[in-house]
Amino acid sequence: MSQTNQLMKSSPHVHDGDSVTNVMEAVIWALMPATAMAVMIFGWTALLVIVITTLSCLVTEHLFLKLRQRPSAIADRSAALTGILLALTLPPHAPWWMCVAGGVFAILVGKQVYGGLGYNMFNPALIARVFLLISFPAQMTAWPPVTPLFSEQSYSLGDSIAIVMTGKVGAPELADAVSSATPLGQYRTETGLGKTVQEALGGGYGGYDEVRAAGGLIGGSLGETVRCWGRWGGGYLLRKKVITWHIPVSMLAGCLVPATIFWTYDPAHFPDPTFHLLTGGLIIGAFFMATDMVTSPITSKGQIIFGLGCGLLTYLIRTWSGYPEGVSFAVVIMNAVVPLIDQYTRPRVYGHMA
Amino acid sequence: MSDNKTSQLITDGLWYNNGIFVQMLGMCPTLAVTTSAENGLGMGLATTFVLLGANVVVSLIRNFIPSAVRIPGYIIVIAAFVTIVDLSMNAYLHDLHKVLGIFIPLIVVNCIILGRAEAFASKNGVFASAIDGIFTGLGFTLALVVLGSVRELLGSGSLFGQALLGSDFHPSLVFVLPPGAFIALGFILVGVRWINAKRDNEAA
Amino acid sequence: MFGFMHGGGESAADGGSPALSAIEMLPIPQRLYLPLRQHAGYPSVPCVTVGQKVGKGEVIGRADVWGSVPLHAPTSGTVVAVTACPTGHPTGLTQLAVVIEPDGAERWSEAVQGMVDPLNAAPSLLREQIRAAGIVGLGDECFPSHLKLTPPRGKRVDLLLINGAECEPGLSVHERLMVERANEILSGIQIIMRIVSAKQCFIGIEQGKSAAIQAMTQAAWGVAGVRVQGVPAMRPHGVRQQLVAALTGKNLSLGARLLDRRLLVHNVSTACSIHDAVWRGRPLLSRVLTVAGGGIARPANLEALIGTPLRHLIDHCGGLQSGVDQLFLGGPLLGQAVNTQDVPVLKSSTAVLSFLPAAGVAKPQQPCIRCGRCVEACPMGLVPAEMARRVRKGQLMRVAELQLHDCTECGFCGFVCPSHIPLLDTFRYAKWVLQAEKWGRQPPSVGGGHALSERDGTAGEPAVVAPPAVVMAEAVAVREEVTVGSASGKGARAVRAAHAARAAKAAKASRDQAK
Ligand code: SF4
Ligand code: SF4
Repeated sequence: MSQTNQLMKSSPHVHDGDSVTNVMEAVIWALMPATAMAVMIFGWTALLVIVITTLSCLVTEHLFLKLRQRPSAIADRSAALTGILLALTLPPHAPWWMCVAGGVFAILVGKQVYGGLGYNMFNPALIARVFLLISFPAQMTAWPPVTPLFSEQSYSLGDSIAIVMTGKVGAPELADAVSSATPLGQYRTETGLGKTVQEALGGGYGGYDEVRAAGGLIGGSLGETVRCWGRWGGGYLLRKKVITWHIPVSMLAGCLVPATIFWTYDPAHFPDPTFHLLTGGLIIGAFFMATDMVTSPITSKGQIIFGLGCGLLTYLIRTWSGYPEGVSFAVVIMNAVVPLIDQYTRPRVYGHMA
Repeated sequence: MSDNKTSQLITDGLWYNNGIFVQMLGMCPTLAVTTSAENGLGMGLATTFVLLGANVVVSLIRNFIPSAVRIPGYIIVIAAFVTIVDLSMNAYLHDLHKVLGIFIPLIVVNCIILGRAEAFASKNGVFASAIDGIFTGLGFTLALVVLGSVRELLGSGSLFGQALLGSDFHPSLVFVLPPGAFIALGFILVGVRWINAKRDNEAA
Repeated sequence: MFGFMHGGGESAADGGSPALSAIEMLPIPQRLYLPLRQHAGYPSVPCVTVGQKVGKGEVIGRADVWGSVPLHAPTSGTVVAVTACPTGHPTGLTQLAVVIEPDGAERWSEAVQGMVDPLNAAPSLLREQIRAAGIVGLGDECFPSHLKLTPPRGKRVDLLLINGAECEPGLSVHERLMVERANEILSGIQIIMRIVSAKQCFIGIEQGKSAAIQAMTQAAWGVAGVRVQGVPAMRPHGVRQQLVAALTGKNLSLGARLLDRRLLVHNVSTACSIHDAVWRGRPLLSRVLTVAGGGIARPANLEALIGTPLRHLIDHCGGLQSGVDQLFLGGPLLGQAVNTQDVPVLKSSTAVLSFLPAAGVAKPQQPCIRCGRCVEACPMGLVPAEMARRVRKGQLMRVAELQLHDCTECGFCGFVCPSHIPLLDTFRYAKWVLQAEKWGRQPPSVGGGHALSERDGTAGEPAVVAPPAVVMAEAVAVREEVTVGSASGKGARAVRAAHAARAAKAAKASRDQAK
């Protein structure tokens, strides 16, 4: 009986070949149409915001892991993904220091203090957005009108750098830039003054136009405005089986079903569901934010509960809270409930009753 | 009572057994009032005064008070000192008193004070208790001032009311709001542990 | 634009899969090694002596109890030894086996007799015939078929499900059998239906295997109650629960056992061998297995005699590529690593695989990103990610709460984990520690340190080590001790102490053996 030199290993001996890096890369690719669209619509400032945010995420991740004496993990792309996601939640003229603060906060407080990738409770990008929103409310809600690249209104590269680097959106020649409110904001402010939805948003929602909204040609944060492109990316992730349908579908349902009910009940005070779908960050949130694997439930049943909760909270916040938009708050709040959801949605073990 | 023991009481109170950094006691005032360095200092000194008084009195009566009712007894002693502080601050430091508000009366239930009374003053002599009270209180003050400074610096760009960071700095509101207190305290604790670990390493 | 392909790993698993190569008959090797324990249950008892001439199909291992099955000589020849030989187990431990030197004459033993008119025969006669032929389920569990065909009192089978999916990814045994031996399979199915008096039979074949579907549909034409049904390609393949769900819409994970739902599942290769046993009286003498993987020069589906050493199969397929250092008996998920090519083909062997070093699981471990794929993959409805997390945190008792003991060690979870966490090894480790704790002993530290590595063991090598032989021997010794010492009380402690010494001795023995 001769021994040969085969290695001893235990099963399984093969692997489907996927890796965390692949997963992260797939999500980044899926965000590319939306990102490209954001740059198209808002011009160079958008590109600067995205680059600065992503870079500060990467640098923070690298430095912090070094401090913790761990091998640098920026190669796993998760920090880059966080950076891009965060950038998409920022306003198009976000000043550089806000991008940096957000990036550092996302990685440091949102992720590394919990122990790094896989251990964080909250979606790092969203927790950073919430941080920025609370810290710098003025800058976070300065919505310039859309200025498509290469169009008349667009800023030159130099102007764009000036905007992002000085944060002075209101430089004399650019003064008229700081004006428009997002449709959601307009709806909240005006209905708060006792107007009906129609009055608030212009006759037949005139000021807000569904086609333009779907194409992204209305003001808002980078990712909010590119919803239709975001949905493409989401579809790509679904097809690639990086995410499953459970969270996006249930999140949309959780927001749109109550929207439909209230709108049917009183169309004068509650806007119709397409308004909710096409404004704000619902779509990008449902496909990219809530589906973050680390901070969402692990079973499909749990994911549906989670999605419904995110959607419902979004609707509640948009309609009754002090903030016009609630996707990030909703997702972050639901993140906190994930361990509980996981606990109660374990699959039934084969052969065991309940 | 040896010098050795006294110096140990001092370093323990200020650092090694710091009420905030190590024991994590008295979190309510710590997190709630430290929106500025000044508030932290005021709160810290008020607490120090109460600690000193309570420790001395508790130590004096420690042999007379039946153990079954000792906690209510301590509370009454502490409450008396808190009332003194409350009224005198209202009289002489009215603005600060307005800012600290309800947290002054709430010193009564600060666990550090009750903790020192129960764990130290009720078992030790008057002098040691006084030293313990003063330095535990100063340790508490130190923690509050550090936390208050960090929050004020990041949240308002100033320190003890003096604008420091210029107009290009954009204060981050979150640090003067409750979440900022938790985040800042967390990082301060990291810093404290880090310093301690480093020294322990060197000692070893 | 999307230059990379996610999930391209499917092809890694199926790497070089000879999906369409016809089944080749492997020539008779020079020696056959026939271990006596090839099925679940009591091993057969050798009933030949060295030097004895045996005919093809002659019984060489008796089945003394109803739960056991006999072992037959796969070809005519001379018994040259009844001795210990290596088996396909990582410990390299040996097992009693009958060694036969074939004479090449292929002379059938007279005892081999088919049945006349089996479709009208009594079920008990059919079962006896199947048992006498040594038929076992040819998946990898190797449960004696006659037992599976004997429903317990009070249970009935209404619906027979025939599994046409492969046992594991990368294999094509069942597909080829269905294409080439559809009529035999159908005949076997009819016999099974007769035995358990099932009225209906669904044959589940993965969609996309159109040749197999076509062949089986043709064979089933006009056979009452039998229907061929395409089922979605299963990942992981061939999981019984998923098959049942796909075929009947009944969700087995709702806590019922198969027979409670009046269901019975067999696979196509078992049906095929039942046909041979009943109509032609042929015992189970050979089996079809896939020889594949990047380390094999010419992958193929081979029909090999039971007992053929792997070396013979591998040489037939052009030998191992240079640089290959891994050899597995069985599929990629459940197979055992073997350390010598002298290991024989068993009734349970579905495949012989060999991978080039790059193809395996050798990627650094990354932190769990809670993607949920393992949950989706687990056929038992467990939550591997959570179990592994608790093991890493050392909360072993809380792992047991998650029904760790229901883990069948199928390895599907590790197969799909994008973080390359050695989930299955983690569970083996945890089970083993729990056992050891139950027996009241401190577990010695185990080789594969990954199980308790730093919580984000990014730096960790993919250390994949089964409990070493030493540990196994010790575990065995401890198990004995429990049977002996279960009297409890103070006496038990004394007994335990005595046995601890024995355990250490056993461990040392096997350590020596390993050298
Ligand atoms: S090895 Fe265990 S936990 Fe993993 S998939 Fe199989 S049964 Fe589930
Ligand atoms: S498959 Fe791996 S990474 Fe995904 S949840 Fe399971 S253990 Fe975690």
